Amino acid sequence: MTLAAALISLTGAQAAGPASDPPTNTFCMTCHDDPKFVHKLGNGEKISLFVDQQVFAHSVHGGKLVCIDCHADITDVPHVTKKYQNRHAMRVAYYEMCKRCHFPEYSRLLDGVHYAKLAKGDEKAPTCVDCHGSHAMAKPARPRALISRTCAQCHTAIAAAYARSVHGKALLEEDNHDVPVCTDCHHPHDNSNPLAASWHLAIPQLCARCHTNKPMMAKYKISTEVLTTYLADFHGVTASIERSEKADPRAFTATCTDCHGIHDIARITDDRSSPVIKANLLASCRHCHKAAGPNFPSAWIGHYEASPRHAPLVWAVSVFYKIFIPFVIGGLVLQILLHLWRVVVNR
Amino acid sequence: MNEYVTRFSVQQRLEHLCVMLLFLVLAVSGFAQKFFEAQWAQWLIVAMGGIHRVRWVHRGAGILFAAVVVGHLAWALYLVASRRSKPSIVPTRKDFSDAVMMIRYYLRLSDEEARFDRYDYRQKFEYWGMVLGSMLMIVTGFMLYLPVLTTRFLPGEFIPAARIAHSNEGLLAFLVVITWHIYNAHLSPDVFPFDVGIFTGKMSRERMEKEHPLEYERMHPDAEQESHDHPEA
Repeated sequence: MTLAAALISLTGAQAAGPASDPPTNTFCMTCHDDPKFVHKLGNGEKISLFVDQQVFAHSVHGGKLVCIDCHADITDVPHVTKKYQNRHAMRVAYYEMCKRCHFPEYSRLLDGVHYAKLAKGDEKAPTCVDCHGSHAMAKPARPRALISRTCAQCHTAIAAAYARSVHGKALLEEDNHDVPVCTDCHHPHDNSNPLAASWHLAIPQLCARCHTNKPMMAKYKISTEVLTTYLADFHGVTASIERSEKADPRAFTATCTDCHGIHDIARITDDRSSPVIKANLLASCRHCHKAAGPNFPSAWIGHYEASPRHAPLVWAVSVFYKIFIPFVIGGLVLQILLHLWRVVVNR
Repeated sequence: MNEYVTRFSVQQRLEHLCVMLLFLVLAVSGFAQKFFEAQWAQWLIVAMGGIHRVRWVHRGAGILFAAVVVGHLAWALYLVASRRSKPSIVPTRKDFSDAVMMIRYYLRLSDEEARFDRYDYRQKFEYWGMVLGSMLMIVTGFMLYLPVLTTRFLPGEFIPAARIAHSNEGLLAFLVVITWHIYNAHLSPDVFPFDVGIFTGKMSRERMEKEHPLEYERMHPDAEQESHDHPEA
């Protein structure tokens, strides 16, 4: 009953003021300051219409925007009642308001998997406010760990695996800013489908953004040759060719994550669970090469260049041909030249 | 009057044709993979229908090539063992002295050319280079085709070693063909523009007398006499 009374008094106040003045936040707060102010959705769910002014003032928009900048559809008091079936329907109706200022992010969003789900009517698909919040909107990466917490609202299992990984532990336990958070690999707005072949084949270059960064890798004593040594091997060659073909590959070739793991990626030096340490490597190879025997894993000479100490056979064969090919071809060309010379002399 | 000598059997000519065509297919499908970063290689891969088809073409041609090589060697061994044919392609001490003699001739240290039998030392070199190179290509090719099976018997490091060997040996074979073989079969002033002998099986009497005099004299014990008496006979 208090609500009805308030509405009646507001209608009077509004009618009394000049028609051109937009309503101020203070004016909106006449109703929305009430913690008990709720609205019943079509599905019977009640949502709070209370806005905590303190929270909004401390948000990134506090002091910059007024209520109707975002709630631009509000023109009359009391508002024309819109019957949203559920929260999702209401968010879908509202999320386009953000593009009036954040147009680049909005247009990138249209290329992302979340929007693709949204466009298909998936009620679990997030809109702007699901990740960024509404009235309590904060900078998305302060602290940096907030990003993985944000994604964890839906991607629970992946967030848990990430938290156990070498990257996640460093971020969550040491606040290490070198390690990637979700959005470093998966773009925040135009996040493409990570199950697509094009994504799978681009993983080496994705990991290489950090793993070929010499100053960064030097801190952790990790080789920066990981990309080139991978690309020189059969799997790497296949991945590179398939990427250049631009057609979906018909077979599967292993990239970084197929051996090292994805979100649960572990450090190889001190983690016995890592799929790439010698004791576990055969099991990893067998994901694809089902009949592989105990000698098979050493067909991959690791992320090393062949040398007399490491993979001496590969090194020796390589050196042999560096000498043998010029020797043979040089000898044959010499014989041809001698023959031609004598033919000329004879004439 | 016999202006031509039949030098190669139909079987030998077919073997050469098969090896030539298969070599071409293997070189194209192999170099497209070896030099995949180059524009022309990427164009080739797309033109052949993608890397997976290129690899199957390469494997298929490789299996056929292996069959031709193994069949050839088995048949040649049978002919020699049953004394139906002489091992005229096997290198002898004379080949080394011939080589020294020809080099002396080229360097104008002497004006005397070596007199060759059915195959001269260069042809023997090319034949055995091709046989040994093919064996290496076949063995390493199958190792790369069947790495899981290979590593049942051999250490894993043999696979990357086989890859380096296969890739380099293939390049060597290709370079030998485009320099040595193309010179001897096409560009050499002796045969320019095209020595068709391996396709027709025939060689002119003049060339036989010049290039394979010992064989020719054995075929025609009185030939030298004849040609001196009646140059146009």
